[in-house]
This record gives sequence, structure tokens and C-alpha cells, in this order.
Amino acid sequence: MRIFILIIMGFLLQACEQIEPLTNTQSYVFGTLVDISIYGESEAEAQAVSAVIIRDFQDLHNRLHAWRPSDITRINHAFAKGKVPVSIKADLATIINDATTLSIQSKGAFNPAIGGLIKNWGFQNDEFKAIQIDDNKINQLVSAKPQMTDLEIVNGKILSNNPAVQLDLGGYAKGYALDKAVLTLRKQGVKNALINIGGNIIALGKHGDKPWRVGIQHPREPHAIASLNLESGWAIGTSGDYQRYFDLDGKRYCHIIDPTTGYPAKGMQSVTVLIPPQVNAGTLSDVASKPIFMAKNGAYAVAAKDMGVDNYLIIESAEKIIISPTMAKHITWVDQKTAQHVKQTQS
Amino acid sequence: MSSKLNRNLPAKNQRFVIALLRGDYLIIAISLIAIAVMFKQFWQFENASQLKIRQGNIVLGIYDLNQTRELNIKGPKGISVILINKGQVRFKQSPCNNHYCVHQGWLSRAGQVAICLPNQISLQLMGSKNSYDSLNY
Repeated sequence: MRIFILIIMGFLLQACEQIEPLTNTQSYVFGTLVDISIYGESEAEAQAVSAVIIRDFQDLHNRLHAWRPSDITRINHAFAKGKVPVSIKADLATIINDATTLSIQSKGAFNPAIGGLIKNWGFQNDEFKAIQIDDNKINQLVSAKPQMTDLEIVNGKILSNNPAVQLDLGGYAKGYALDKAVLTLRKQGVKNALINIGGNIIALGKHGDKPWRVGIQHPREPHAIASLNLESGWAIGTSGDYQRYFDLDGKRYCHIIDPTTGYPAKGMQSVTVLIPPQVNAGTLSDVASKPIFMAKNGAYAVAAKDMGVDNYLIIESAEKIIISPTMAKHITWVDQKTAQHVKQTQS
Repeated sequence: MSSKLNRNLPAKNQRFVIALLRGDYLIIAISLIAIAVMFKQFWQFENASQLKIRQGNIVLGIYDLNQTRELNIKGPKGISVILINKGQVRFKQSPCNNHYCVHQGWLSRAGQVAICLPNQISLQLMGSKNSYDSLNY
């Protein structure tokens, strides 16, 4: 009997959660939720580092803001006036050059020069609503062909050869911020952390003796559809039609605008990319899902290849899920029913 | 009566203990099987037991989900109404425009989250073990 009591008490003790050195903070930056978990540091230490990261995020957000007065609105204003060179800081020049490289790599599918279109669709707002769709205006904005390659940066000054270029780094800034945050963490000597900016996540180290574990949101239901281990240095990002959208006459219009049509991309509910460790893993996790999300007629594999992405997951609907073979090795589906609807690509 | 009981106590007590032990074996065996079966069946859909509500970076509280209660939470946009009802929770009313938070509906599983970005309120459901550390969306 005594042995039994001891065994049962042992079970009960195991059930009690051990207090672990995990500090979690949340705040709202980039118009979304920022969630930082730090493992293995004292709470005071973790709070201090998180505060530095959040301050840097807020600073970056203020400078890159597409519709409140910022460095970006200042240069956009100059672009619209014609070839007027305006001064920009060195780090902003680096960001714009990097975004241009990625835009070329995506064959223009990732195009931060289409701020005019995004504004026209009403998505340059903290809270947007259904708009009156003006086809003439959309056609005009598309045929003006604003592209990143229209920009010239010389001696700390930028100018646009096309007055239609309006920068909106909404599909870049969050990923870039993740890469910056990792540098801050490393500099501060933090070895284990998980940073989530509006669903874009990067991992550093582990959660104790296990890797960080991340759930992938179901695009239509309020729970995860799958989960995976996010090993140190890896980043994950999703483009979906369910985060920023409006419904009009029974149709859904999401915030991801296809530069070639001027209309929101459709056909997919979400695209998730998993990026292995590299200097700009965070940036890629943000940027690389967009060209795949816009891919038409099954050209997603080409779009993924252009962006150097091996691990991708496409949810067209609950009944049609496409996954690359390498991604399939990482994923655990939430249930058997979902797993049955998954189709693996050939390469 | 009482003297009779006292006199018989050692023997009776012994029998009582043995009987209980057999019952224990049975109950423990059944419980272990039941736990194993339920664990296998529900581990990914573990029902949440608690709810963490945050406004901005402040944890407003950790609430037992097994109750019926309405909470009014003040954020930068106004008051969000959160309804806890016997193991589940939802945003009932919100001062935001798009009402994504309200459209999320009821949450009941551990690991589920609902966020009202404009009003900076997050609901996070917790179980005995969290199925993941963060959510990609």
C-alpha cells in the first residue's frame, strides 16, 4: 500500500509543472502582435533584452511606415514629384537595395514599389473596410509599371525614374526586424529565444532540452493545422488571405496584391515557407511566401525555386494541401483527416 | 455496540485493508488504461483548462475556463467583451472595425489564441502541457 501511495504521489508530482526559466513578453508593433520568449536567462535580464528589441522594432516601424509621416513617406512624396533626389540614411539604402535584389529574384512578384495599388485597395490603414473597386484606377496603376529597378541610389541620395513608384515595405519589414533582433540577442549573450512578429517566427537555441515548437494556423479555423520543431537559426513565415482582408458581394479580397493584375491574389488560402539558417533567414521567411502565393496555373514550384525555397506548404482548401517533400519531413499534422488531404510535390 | 467494534477492530481492519487493496488494483488498472486511451485520442486536442488574457504586455489575469463569466476589458479602442462559458471562451463584442476577433468564435483547445489587434487584447488557452511555444499565422 505504501509503495502504491508513493507511486501515485510520484505521478502527481510529475504532473505539477516545474517552474522553468522562460520569460514571455507581448507588445503591439508593425500593426501586429510581437511575442518574445526567452529561455535560460533571469527574468530581469530577459525583460531588459526584450525591451531593447521592442524599442528597435518600434523605431524601425516608425521609419518605414507607409502611411504615417516617416522616412518612406518622405521619399515617396519626392518620387511622385519626378526625378528629385532626396537624401536617405545608409541603413535605409541597404534595405531598399536588398528589397530590390529580392524583387528581381522573384521576377517582380514581390514588389514593394506598388504602394499606390495597396493604398488604392484601402490596405494602407490601421483598420480598413470594403472599398468601391475602381477598375480604371487599378488599370492605370498597373500600366504605370512601378518597379524597384526604377530606383537609383547614388551618394546617399535616392531618386525614382518612374513617378508611379510608391514604396511599401509591409512584406519585408517584419522579416528584416527578425534578423536584426537575432543580432541583438546574440550581442546580449542570449542563447535561447523565439521571436514572433505577426506570425513570422525565428528561433535561436532551444526551449530547454527540446527544440522550440511552433504551430501553423489553420487558415479557416481557430486552431493549428500542423506543428513542427523550429531548430536554432530557422525561420518560418506565412502569407494568408485570412489576416487582412475584406468581403465584398460575397467575395474575399486579401491584402496580397498581384502587381501584374492589380488585384488581390487568389486561389490559395495560405502559403508557409520554412527557411534554414542564413544571414537573412527572417527576411526570406517574410518575402519568399508572397511569390508562391501569387503563382498562377500551378507555377508555385517555379516561384519557390526562384526564391531558393525548398520547404513550402500550400493550403488551397482544407481538402487540397500541397507540400514539398523536404517540408513534409518537418511537419506533424494535427489529425489524420487533414493528413489524408495532403499531396506531396515531386521535387 | 462500540465495545464490540473495538474488540473486532484488528481482524476487521485487516480484511478491510485487503479488500481495499483489491479495489485499488482494479481502479488503478482501469484508470491507467483510461488515461492511456484518452491520452492517445486527445493529446493533440487537449481541452484547455485556463485562459490567459493580456492587454498590451500586461497579463490581466489567468482565468479558470470552467465557469460562466463575462469580462469587460478596456483597450485603446474601447471595451472588448469576453465571454467564458464552461470550458470555452470567445470575443463576444469588440470596438474594432473588422471584428476578426469576434468571427474567430469559440476557443476550447489548449494552445488556441485569439487576438484583437486594434484593441491589443490577446486570449491564450492553456492546458496541462502546451502543445507548442508560438503560433505561425
